[in-house]
Amino acid sequence: MRPYKVLLFIFACLAVMAVLCVALPHRVEIGDRSLKWPTLAEVFETDPIATLDSLEFPDTPGTPEIIETPASPDTPDTPATEAPKPEIVVPKVVVDSTIDCREFLRPFYEVLSESDRQIIRVLHYGDSQIEEDRMTQQIREALQARFGGAGVGLMPLAQTIPSLSVKQQLFMSERFVLPTQGPRRYMVYAPKRDQRTDKKYGVMGQMAEMNDSLVSGSEDIMAVCTPQGINARYTKWKIFADTSIHSTTHGDTVWLNGKGVVYGLSQQTETGVIVDNLPMRGCLGTVFTKIDKEQLQTFYEQENVRLIILQFGGNAIPSNKNPGTIAGIVKGLRDQVRYLKTCAPEASILFIGPSDMLTQIDGEWQTYPMVPYMDGLLRKMALEENIAYFSLYRWMGGSGSMLRWQEVGLAGSDGVHFTRAGAKKAGKAVANWILEGER
Amino acid sequence: MNFLHHILGFNEESPLLFTQFYFWAFFALVFAVFALIMEAVPDRLGNKKLHLRNVYLMFVSWFFYYKTSGLFLLILAFVTLSDWIIAQQIKKSQISNPKSQIPKILLALSVTIDLGLLAYFKYAYFFTNMVNDLFGTGFRVFDIFAYVGNGFADAGRFSVDTIVLPVGISFYIFQVISYTADVYRGRIQPVKNILDFGFYVSFFPQLVAGPIVRAEEFIPQLYKPYHLSRRWFGVAVFWILNGLAKKIIMSDYLAVNLIDRVFDNPLLFSGFENLFALFAYSLQVYADFSGYTDIAIGVAMLMGFYLPMNFNSPYKSQSPQEFWRRWHMSLGRWLKTYLYIPLGGNRSIGFGTYFWWTMIAFVSAALTRWWWILIPFAAFMVGVVIWDKWAKSIVDRQSSNRKLLYSNLNSFITQVLGGLWHGASWNFIIWGGINGIGMIVEKIWRKMSWHVRFASMTVLTAGLCVADFLTNLPVWRLFAVWAAIIWIGTAIRYIYYLCTLDKEITNHQLQITNKLAQAWAILQTFTFITFTRLFFRSSSNLDPATANEVAWATAKNMVNQIGGAWYNEVILPFMWEFRWVVAMFVLGMIIHWLPTNWKRRYRLWFAKMPLWLMVLAVCAAIYMIYQFVTADMQPFIYFQF
Repeated sequence: MRPYKVLLFIFACLAVMAVLCVALPHRVEIGDRSLKWPTLAEVFETDPIATLDSLEFPDTPGTPEIIETPASPDTPDTPATEAPKPEIVVPKVVVDSTIDCREFLRPFYEVLSESDRQIIRVLHYGDSQIEEDRMTQQIREALQARFGGAGVGLMPLAQTIPSLSVKQQLFMSERFVLPTQGPRRYMVYAPKRDQRTDKKYGVMGQMAEMNDSLVSGSEDIMAVCTPQGINARYTKWKIFADTSIHSTTHGDTVWLNGKGVVYGLSQQTETGVIVDNLPMRGCLGTVFTKIDKEQLQTFYEQENVRLIILQFGGNAIPSNKNPGTIAGIVKGLRDQVRYLKTCAPEASILFIGPSDMLTQIDGEWQTYPMVPYMDGLLRKMALEENIAYFSLYRWMGGSGSMLRWQEVGLAGSDGVHFTRAGAKKAGKAVANWILEGER
Repeated sequence: MNFLHHILGFNEESPLLFTQFYFWAFFALVFAVFALIMEAVPDRLGNKKLHLRNVYLMFVSWFFYYKTSGLFLLILAFVTLSDWIIAQQIKKSQISNPKSQIPKILLALSVTIDLGLLAYFKYAYFFTNMVNDLFGTGFRVFDIFAYVGNGFADAGRFSVDTIVLPVGISFYIFQVISYTADVYRGRIQPVKNILDFGFYVSFFPQLVAGPIVRAEEFIPQLYKPYHLSRRWFGVAVFWILNGLAKKIIMSDYLAVNLIDRVFDNPLLFSGFENLFALFAYSLQVYADFSGYTDIAIGVAMLMGFYLPMNFNSPYKSQSPQEFWRRWHMSLGRWLKTYLYIPLGGNRSIGFGTYFWWTMIAFVSAALTRWWWILIPFAAFMVGVVIWDKWAKSIVDRQSSNRKLLYSNLNSFITQVLGGLWHGASWNFIIWGGINGIGMIVEKIWRKMSWHVRFASMTVLTAGLCVADFLTNLPVWRLFAVWAAIIWIGTAIRYIYYLCTLDKEITNHQLQITNKLAQAWAILQTFTFITFTRLFFRSSSNLDPATANEVAWATAKNMVNQIGGAWYNEVILPFMWEFRWVVAMFVLGMIIHWLPTNWKRRYRLWFAKMPLWLMVLAVCAAIYMIYQFVTADMQPFIYFQF
């Protein structure tokens, strides 16, 4: 075949595709799917096939997005400026920008001065973003360095997700078992089969039952929990379990015997700040009302819980495209905040909103349109409920910042989760923000 | 203007990729001038016309490389010049004095320069890290080229603290080595014109990711006139579409929607999801790499150049050895020609074998800090030397065993070095090593009788089950389950063997059993190769500390999930929620496993299509592929806690 014929063929293909660019609609909806084809302008202005390469983001990680007000993680949001998909109408959220919401943490700041005489407990509940103790560790280190205290705090009897701060191994009758082979676990955020009817999950929202077929009552359970790094300082054990469970401890090891429920093990000091990492994978954060109130009240009071950090919202984003649904979820979170206030009236509450989260829209990685909306609603809810709010999304740099985080290795390729380095950076930022408010 | 600027300027973050519109716009313009040269310049000019074509394509290729790698073009130019001069001198020396040692010295000089550059750019972090680990030093890499570029200063336009790997350096370095070595061996004549040679080194379709074209395969094409039959034209178009579909539909879609998420954080997913992602990754790697080379082959063919086949349905392989004959064939051939055979192949072991064995032992000990492993390495080598001397001294019947030993040792070294070629980190060495061991085990397995096979498999499976019972560790459970599956297959085949020992087998029966045996072997090989992928995927090619940490953590977590957090109840919801991903994977494997004849048939059917219909078919295919580019991401969901 002569070269000119090949050339004609190539140009014929390009010409037909160019005609299609002009003639075909950009998007044809077929059920819940759609067929797309670029316009000529799109072809020449940006690359329809490239993803990361063709996107430009003026912000760098850590540089907050400036919209109306001086940038700060707790500044309000005006999501209407952030160009959501045209077919999704995202309502505008207006929030008072003059309030430094850290003022709501004042009771916590004040009690910190007594940390040399008593224990002050900080509970960090959150979704998968706080797994492995990646973010909490930074908050713990910062608070303990300033106000004393040591130890990783609470951990479940069987840790299915490894923690960076404590290496945990479980033995039954001196035989190593996997966490899934250990005592039956019940979780308030689990599917129904792993939930309890009596709501007695304990403060962690999960517990282990030592009385089912997997474990006979007389069988010793040994948990070896070796704290890592800075957490390896001298601490004592505290076992949260039914009185029918007998426990002995030595060094990093706990032996448990008897029938009953284990709510958690804790490595902690007798004074100072203890920060507990309490991840709830896949959880929306609307589960606290399903935990027995009396149990929570007792723990919060006895353990002097003075700050509760809630880090939720991210799990609502991928599967909800409707602003109404998001508003409903935020209402559910408001109910949780009110419930926790009644359980722990002495405690301050800090809500950490979702990070920037990406999805592919028309072949390009973009922020989920609902992220800024949810962030704005959460901030509004926090101010109305007199609790502090840290906008992870805005602190990262707002819409599209997750792309930059990915490029520098701070975020994973799913566009949702931080890498360890990213979680460390975010955790440090939260810790610094809390501490700056104290000064 | 923006479009022109985009197409002509260098932008580090926007290289010319086959999957971008810009590449095809670039190619259309390049081909327009190419066609003008081929049509307008009279044929009577002969070689001058071809030379003009070659020079034109060389400069186009250099522009392509500049768009991809910027000033690293100078490295490409340097090795082109260096090897062209050295090859000329080798030939001159051989003619003037056939017994002279100068050609050998020149060849060594060329290989040293080429591999030195490759080592500097690709392995600087690896070796620096190793030395620091070993001696507790704090050396850091220093980019000498950046230093020179800054006018002999540490600060300036370029950073001296990081060494950036030039795109495609592993490929074109191997090409120039093959050229000089082939000239030295007398397989080809040196290329007289440096611009022709430059074209061979830098031909843009295969410049950055192969296939690695050996000099003797490509140099003769420089002097052949343009020839493209109507059928081959159709085949070329087919390869391009095939490559685009593989890359975008199979590779990118699977990666974005499942594989990357699982590999990034295996603990978020159940054992089944991890295993599925691992198998899907096997398909992704194949679709990605072979998709690229399919496009390269098609594009080259349109310009009248024929590149070697690089993948031949590798997951149809019935053994690891066969897999390596079908996977990245151009690299396999290169390693065989320029490494395995010079090491001695199956004929001998010599200095090269001992040297590389010692190096592998030393690097393994240094990286793991298990110095004791030098002892088994040394003991093995001493044993080999003694056995070799003894075997040589007795009767010839031992020669087949000797060949097997030589072949195994040299192929193991080739595999490990081949692994290191893929990336400068420990996990690639392990990957190469596992592949080497897999090949050796398979060769030994083939030599065993059915009695021995069954007995050894039974002992192995029992041992792994005991290890699983005693330790209760996921890794042993994984191995035990895998061994049990192989044991079941072996037992069935063993029973069949015993039952048919004294019986006549009809051809029909034989055909059926052969087909079943083939299917079983294919599945086992695919599973083995998939398992090795645990160590293949790394987040970085440069910083071995990061690469090792990430790769190890990923492999460990995936094994722990597969062996310890399986969760049967997750399987059905996963299959439903990720139905498009699952469907793509299944479709990909079905297409992959289609008989070669079927593939050839539909390829030819496409190739023979009338041109107007082919234009429409191309547009329809691009339209379909585009739907996958723009597909929204599958929502992130959790099935287990």
